[in-house]
Amino acid sequence: MNLTYNQAYSKLSKLVDEIEDDQIQLDTLADKVKQAKELIDYCETRLRSISEDVTTSLTDKKPTTKKKNNK
Amino acid sequence: MAKKLKLSELVNEIDETLQDRFAGETFWITAEITDVKKQPDKRWCFLKFIEKEGKIITTEIKGVFWSNAFANIEKFEKLSGQTFASGLEITCNVRVRFHKRFGIDLEVLEIDHSYALGKLEQERQLTLDRLVKENPSFIRLVDGQYFTRNQSLELPLVLQRIALVTAPDSDGQRDFKQEIGKNQYGYAFSVTEFLTQIQGDNSSQLIIQKLKQIEASKENFDVVAIVRGGGSQTDFKPFDDYELSKYVASFPIPIFTGIGHDRNTSIVDLMARQHKTPTKVASSIVEHNFNFESEIIELKDRLLDSAESIMEKAKDKLLQIKRTVKAYSPATILNKGYAIITSNDQIVTDPKNIKTDSEIKTLLKNELIHSTVTKKSKNELDL
Repeated sequence: MNLTYNQAYSKLSKLVDEIEDDQIQLDTLADKVKQAKELIDYCETRLRSISEDVTTSLTDKKPTTKKKNNK
Repeated sequence: MAKKLKLSELVNEIDETLQDRFAGETFWITAEITDVKKQPDKRWCFLKFIEKEGKIITTEIKGVFWSNAFANIEKFEKLSGQTFASGLEITCNVRVRFHKRFGIDLEVLEIDHSYALGKLEQERQLTLDRLVKENPSFIRLVDGQYFTRNQSLELPLVLQRIALVTAPDSDGQRDFKQEIGKNQYGYAFSVTEFLTQIQGDNSSQLIIQKLKQIEASKENFDVVAIVRGGGSQTDFKPFDDYELSKYVASFPIPIFTGIGHDRNTSIVDLMARQHKTPTKVASSIVEHNFNFESEIIELKDRLLDSAESIMEKAKDKLLQIKRTVKAYSPATILNKGYAIITSNDQIVTDPKNIKTDSEIKTLLKNELIHSTVTKKSKNELDL
């Protein structure tokens, strides 16, 4: 998953709204709950471990060459 | 030819003349100071008083604070949040002194603090007025409150990538990083340091340079923290600088300031988001992220609640169906004392199908009764 916090948050709140709607179909519920839980995990994890892309672009003066060497 | 004098005789006469005129008298003067040389260990301070016409110095005289008056300087710095340094205009009480070798000077006995503060406040106000007047597109004054473009930038939901502007090996740097590092929620941060001298002449220019570097890679940062430790170093001047204040006001990344002066608010503080101390800047960043996480947790609770209630409702419905099915099941019926009759292993629903002399089985709760039909008659029981 590669979302901004904004994207994750708006997706998540949309899903929760849908789940709270009385009209929701049982067979889509499980899928929506799963998606929502993934988004929650994503935010919680990212809050506690900054994504690698960010740190490399900050610490490395030439991120492009270094990335190539790594892979 | 006039009578020749020894140097000492002439100087003695000057000394006596000055004594006659100035001995025992003190004067209040207002003047700009320059060439300030403090010697805190000895509690002396040497300086010059000057007066200018335009840019030309027309009057200049040496001045000195001895240890009995040195506390005036410390008090001035504490009250004003500024270093006692060249360029200031002060009002002070002085005595004229003459020394046969070192010449004439003014010994300062006392500073008029209210004048000095008033003067500084006046200069500060001029800078603020100019900021508003010359930059209407990003600095506005409404009901005594300054509003800037920088302050109106929306904060990202999470502040994680921090550009830290501070002095190397400073208290501010240490306090900020400590508070960020030890945050109780375990949030991760990336702090990129932009270290520069942050006090004294020219430091406002140095800070601007650092901010320019940050702006050049602005997509890498969520927030800029400008912090400085408090303590005895209380030079506020760089943060009242016009150019720096203007740049901060228009800066494209939100700026948090922790310039560490509890009494005063600098102009840069007014142009950004002020949090007073480096520690408070760090804790407000942590809090900001905590607020976001709280919202996520609230969504999570709502999600689990409604998913649970949906499942609960579905279960209830199922249970209802089960009950209905059970209520109509043969076992339930037999338990109530009813019987099921079969003939030729077929459940008899129409008694016409039972012939006299035929074999039938009556199924009761616990037993199966085999019988032969001896007689059939109309059911006259009133049920």
